[in-house]
Amino acid sequence: MANELLNVQGLETRFKTPEGLIHAVNGVSFHLKEGETLGVVGESGCGKSVSMLSVLKLVPMPPGEIVAGTAEFKGKDLLKMTNEEIRQVRGGQIAMVFQDPMTSLNPVMTIGKQLEEPLMLHLGLTKAQVRSRSIELLEQVGIPRAAERLKDYPHQYSGGMRQRVMIAMALSCNPQILIADEPTTALDVTIQAQIVELVIKLREQLGMAIVWITHDLGVVASIAHRVAVMYGGFIIEEANVKDLYKSPSHPYTIGLLGSLPQIQAQTRQRLYSIDGMPPVLYKKPQACPFAPRCKWVLERCWHENPRLEPVGEGHRVACWADTKSGSER
Amino acid sequence: MTNYIIRRLLLVPVILFGVSVIIMGMLQLLGPIERSALYVKDFPKNDRQVDGIIKKYALDRPFHEQYWRWLTGVKDPVTGHREGGVLYGDFGYSRSASQPVIDIIRTRFPNTVELALWTVVPMLSIGIWLGIKAAVYQNTWVDQLARMFSIVGTSFPTFVFGLLVLILFYAKLGWFMPGKMSDWANQVVRSPQFVNYTKLLTIDSLLNGRFDIFWDALRHMILPILTLSYINWATYVRVMRSSMLETLRMDYVTTARAKGLTEGVVINQHARPNAMLPIVTMAGMSVVGLLGGVIITETVFNYPGIGKATADAAANLDVVTTIGMAIFSGFILIISNLIVDVMYAVIDPRVRLS
Ligand SMILES: Nc1ncnc2c1ncn2[C@@H]1O[C@H](COP(=O)(O)OP(=O)(O)OP(=O)(O)O)[C@@H](O)[C@H]1O
Ligand SMILES: [Mg+2]
Repeated sequence: MANELLNVQGLETRFKTPEGLIHAVNGVSFHLKEGETLGVVGESGCGKSVSMLSVLKLVPMPPGEIVAGTAEFKGKDLLKMTNEEIRQVRGGQIAMVFQDPMTSLNPVMTIGKQLEEPLMLHLGLTKAQVRSRSIELLEQVGIPRAAERLKDYPHQYSGGMRQRVMIAMALSCNPQILIADEPTTALDVTIQAQIVELVIKLREQLGMAIVWITHDLGVVASIAHRVAVMYGGFIIEEANVKDLYKSPSHPYTIGLLGSLPQIQAQTRQRLYSIDGMPPVLYKKPQACPFAPRCKWVLERCWHENPRLEPVGEGHRVACWADTKSGSER
Repeated sequence: MTNYIIRRLLLVPVILFGVSVIIMGMLQLLGPIERSALYVKDFPKNDRQVDGIIKKYALDRPFHEQYWRWLTGVKDPVTGHREGGVLYGDFGYSRSASQPVIDIIRTRFPNTVELALWTVVPMLSIGIWLGIKAAVYQNTWVDQLARMFSIVGTSFPTFVFGLLVLILFYAKLGWFMPGKMSDWANQVVRSPQFVNYTKLLTIDSLLNGRFDIFWDALRHMILPILTLSYINWATYVRVMRSSMLETLRMDYVTTARAKGLTEGVVINQHARPNAMLPIVTMAGMSVVGLLGGVIITETVFNYPGIGKATADAAANLDVVTTIGMAIFSGFILIISNLIVDVMYAVIDPRVRLS
């Protein structure tokens, strides 16, 4: 078994807002091995981004607050680190790419300057080294005329190009983990595919582990080894990609997979979509947060929140109902 | 960048043309005889003289002819001597000040510039600095103080503040005084030993090594400065604070933090330049407010700048001087807007490169 890189246990993050306390993340646990790619899926607002930002203490504080949990990176708890210590990790050993390439680059700074910052900071390169490394990085992510384009500003790049720059920037210091927060959501479908392909290629070259956040289960299938499904600030199912697609066990996962258009299917199935809205959690859920929208809902679901329990090799699910039989497990 | 500045400079004459057409256009509401006041130094002794002026400057002719002669003046066919002509700096003769309008501008404008500099520079730097601190330390005492300051500051009219300050510091305490400088200082400044390098008294006094005069000038200016900058400080703090708060929520700030940059670098190098953009726009607009404020403030504190000159002229129904000042203020506005646009382009590549 490969070495464990990141082990997150019982992570809880809340936001104090004028409308009340929002329980965004309510006890998330997952782990990541060297070179492994973990897909994190779930509807908008289920806490995917906040979970990952919390790991690097990047949630805005205030209003955010990490109230519980540990995040051990190579045996050291990131959440207990001083600002100085965690800055060494950020961008150096764990790097992030964000959803919207249009807003995630600084509009008044040249691409070259933005690329150079982590290189100077973490690798301590000289000016000349920084420049050649920057060019190399841009070429690596497929940006033509890289040397000239260093002095351009973000608005002179297309959306896809900017996301390539973000990826180049994130990988510039050879991080052990890349956290990609919906890196393709804001892009055209063709560009999306190119970005996924690029990351897969770079993963082969550099061997970093990846956390890939998305609500596109199609993308997850092509890139991830393992998938965690989130709902209401919890991970409600976790499995290897194959197992998850073959035998999804949580009603929510079944719903998600059902709403995937099945192109290869001969007869077009009616798309199954999950009725209802994801919850905004002003209270920490004491019952299963999915119960109001669940087809398999049982009496117990309204009173007790299920914990993640193993249902197979590396396959865990948090549900009281056995979705095969419809009865309680 | 150079291209951008050249393009903007080419616009200056166009805008000035518009401004002058509007001002001259307004004069068309008057009759030819009244318009002749633009060109006569004294009240005309007889009607023949007035008729002569009307003929000479085509005051009874269509607008474009009048405008042209006003702009370029009239050349005497015999002596070749030019009379009038705004383009040549002849804005007419001020009856109320008994000197050519251009001379009023020449002597008074440096005083106003000095006042404006002492107002704008501290105002911008303190306003921006305090606004940033308030945003970065949101909801702490720094923030509360800055917010209280800006609420009080924006709900208090300039002239009320000016008068209050005048009553307290000038009448009651006698710390500061109105006017430009004390008599003894005036004597020194007029003496041949005192060299006027810049015509800005505070700077010249330092260059001449006369710290007593510098201090004297500052004591005369401090109240007008306070009054002029008071409201704007408050607004700058508020705008800078909210702009900075908004910027700190932007994705690229999270990106910068995710790179491992220190909080200082994140704030000063990534957030601040972006948060400055609305301030630059506002600085441009507040020049307009400043020109208005200068008229009131210079009058209240009896400070000899162009604001007071304009107010004096208007109070004496001196049309010629008022028009001259209006054109000149228009010119200043255009130039300061140009400076603001250039600064905007310096900060924001999206403007510069479009
Ligand atoms: N800065 C913030 N202030 C207040 N609430 C926040 C803040 N950031 C996130 N939240 C709340 O936390 C919850 C989880 O948000 P999060 O961004 O993690 O969702 P997500 O799963 O990433 O969704 P998406 O797919 O839309 O990115 C949401 O209810 C959101 O409203
Ligand atoms: Mg998100």
